[in-house]
Amino acid sequence: MRIQYKHLMLFSTIVPILIVLVLCISLSFGTKSIPLTTVWQAIVHFDSSNADHQILWSGRIPRALAVLFVGAFLATAGALMQGMTRNFLASPSIMGVSDGSAFIITLAFVFLPGLASIKLVILSMIGSLIGGALVFGFASIVKNGLSPVRLAIIGTVIGSFLSSIGTAIAMYHQISQTISMWYNSKVHTVQMDMVLLCVPIGFVGLILALFLAKSITITALGEDIAVGLGQRTRVVKVLSMIAVAILTGATVALVGKIAFVGLVVPHIVRMLIGVDYRMIIPCSAVMGAFFLSVCDLASRYVNFPFETPIGVVTAVIGVPFFLYLIRKKGGEKYAA
Amino acid sequence: MPLKKKKWFITLSVLFIFLLASMYIHLVSGNFPMTMAEVWKTLLRIESNDKFDLVVFDFRLPRIVTAALVGMGLAGAGVVLQGITKNALADPGILGINAGAGCAIVIFMYFFKLEMVNVEINSIVNMLMMPIFGFIGGAVAAAIILLMSYKAGRLNMQRLILTGIAINSGFGALTLLWSLKMDEDDYQAAAIWMNGSIYNANWYFVVAMLPWLLILGIYIYRKAHMLDYFQLEEETVVTLGIPIEKEKLKLMLASVGLVSACVSVSGSIGFIGLMAPHIARQLVGIHHRNVMPVSILIGAVLVVFSDYIAKTVFAPMELSVGIVISIVGIPYFLYLLVRAKG
Repeated sequence: MRIQYKHLMLFSTIVPILIVLVLCISLSFGTKSIPLTTVWQAIVHFDSSNADHQILWSGRIPRALAVLFVGAFLATAGALMQGMTRNFLASPSIMGVSDGSAFIITLAFVFLPGLASIKLVILSMIGSLIGGALVFGFASIVKNGLSPVRLAIIGTVIGSFLSSIGTAIAMYHQISQTISMWYNSKVHTVQMDMVLLCVPIGFVGLILALFLAKSITITALGEDIAVGLGQRTRVVKVLSMIAVAILTGATVALVGKIAFVGLVVPHIVRMLIGVDYRMIIPCSAVMGAFFLSVCDLASRYVNFPFETPIGVVTAVIGVPFFLYLIRKKGGEKYAA
Repeated sequence: MPLKKKKWFITLSVLFIFLLASMYIHLVSGNFPMTMAEVWKTLLRIESNDKFDLVVFDFRLPRIVTAALVGMGLAGAGVVLQGITKNALADPGILGINAGAGCAIVIFMYFFKLEMVNVEINSIVNMLMMPIFGFIGGAVAAAIILLMSYKAGRLNMQRLILTGIAINSGFGALTLLWSLKMDEDDYQAAAIWMNGSIYNANWYFVVAMLPWLLILGIYIYRKAHMLDYFQLEEETVVTLGIPIEKEKLKLMLASVGLVSACVSVSGSIGFIGLMAPHIARQLVGIHHRNVMPVSILIGAVLVVFSDYIAKTVFAPMELSVGIVISIVGIPYFLYLLVRAKG
């Protein structure tokens, strides 16, 4: 345990410093470089006649904040799901949660055009819940459906089903361009008002997750043990599902679907600091924020001055990791 | 045995009639107002009219022929893949071979422009080259699949599908990356193609894919009995004197070739390779030599009919045939997953 605490100490000092560093780079560099002093000026004394300040407040600051919090929320959602289902492949994008959310947003665009943003966020959360419920509901009627590998297969397949139907509906109503924005993350168009709306809502989910962390640790020991220790497993599961829905719903409403963050980050954190979810969940949030901020930086600079979609960057990191996980853990023992 | 043979023959004939029927309804329906009589007259050269000729011979017929060929190729590849992997859920789309071939073709499109509108000799050569590039990408995907899912000399069924999922998203991301680098016209061409649509089919594409389908189709049919051996325990097959790994590799490459030829023409269409062999096995039993032709016909019927739906359901809007097929195919996949053992 001692070593892990050491890791934890290191973790809680180094990662926040790195985050601040990445934030500084992200705010001050770009198509137009803005010195850090001006960035600071813009934050404390906003001057609407200054072009640099306008660039910062209309583009870079919302984007940096969005990426930061989306990373945190997705990683937390992934950690919660992995703990709750004891499934090393669980994450919002693999379990159909993000797809459900994007699907409902498609429907909302088609049938309820001009919806207020707050309603859109709520619908997005309901979509997450529906997506998750669909996948888990289906998995529980299939033989062995809740085993990690099968659940991942069912989740992906139901997810692509939802997005096929979504695409068909969008094509029919000739809004596929708008919709494909929601499906393929759109960090570069984030507006400050959406950030101010979605981030507090996501925080509710984050707090709920932290509150659940202890119970998740117990659940992760196994259903029988958890029940033996007097845990009300059903309540914990329902609450975690709600937390996941809030977290994912808020992120999809803000930037669309971003895959692999919720899968990769909790694994890295677990390797570093062990299996206690009271630490994994907050550390995942911090690590996720860092991870996605770095990915966002990469997405801006890999092909400068053109932007690479952030989903491509997370996939480039996430896919080999995913393959590694399958190779390492996807054997007979776990697949059964 | 003769009774079985008879049943098999009847099944085959019925399917053939289905195929002709779906081709026919595809041919006589569309946005351009033509009566059935006019279609027939144009087709049989009784009465010709430039407009009708254009619609029938340059738009509708190549599309139908392409649909049928793509269905056949994908279904054949599906039979082979399911046989090799002993996995009832294998499908070129699910395993990521489509995605690999597609990615290579997008990269190819990026370097060599593809003119869909005014076809010149240069772009004809490019069209003929596309399946070859697709083959490289598909082979890379297949190699990753095999490397990742072989453990202790055995293919693990679940891991196979998971690897496929990973490969799909990886190649999907790469494809997105390259397609965004293209200039607008190329991107348009690539985007239409990527969605799994065949409404821009033309005869050059048919010519480009036909040799692949013919040669590899005959090859896999001749090797179909091998697939029966693969279903046995590996030790047994080895004692029969069959070089199992070599045969598997050859068949795998053949199916990758089939898939690449199809993908280069129609973009990624999933689930045909999953559904057709299953339906075929339900109809005619498990012998691959019987299953193969039946499932190839089923594949053709499925794609032609789905394309008819894609063309007409939201007319005058076109849906891409890939989406129509996955809306049908995914519930089927889930149904198979429910039924599957373990």
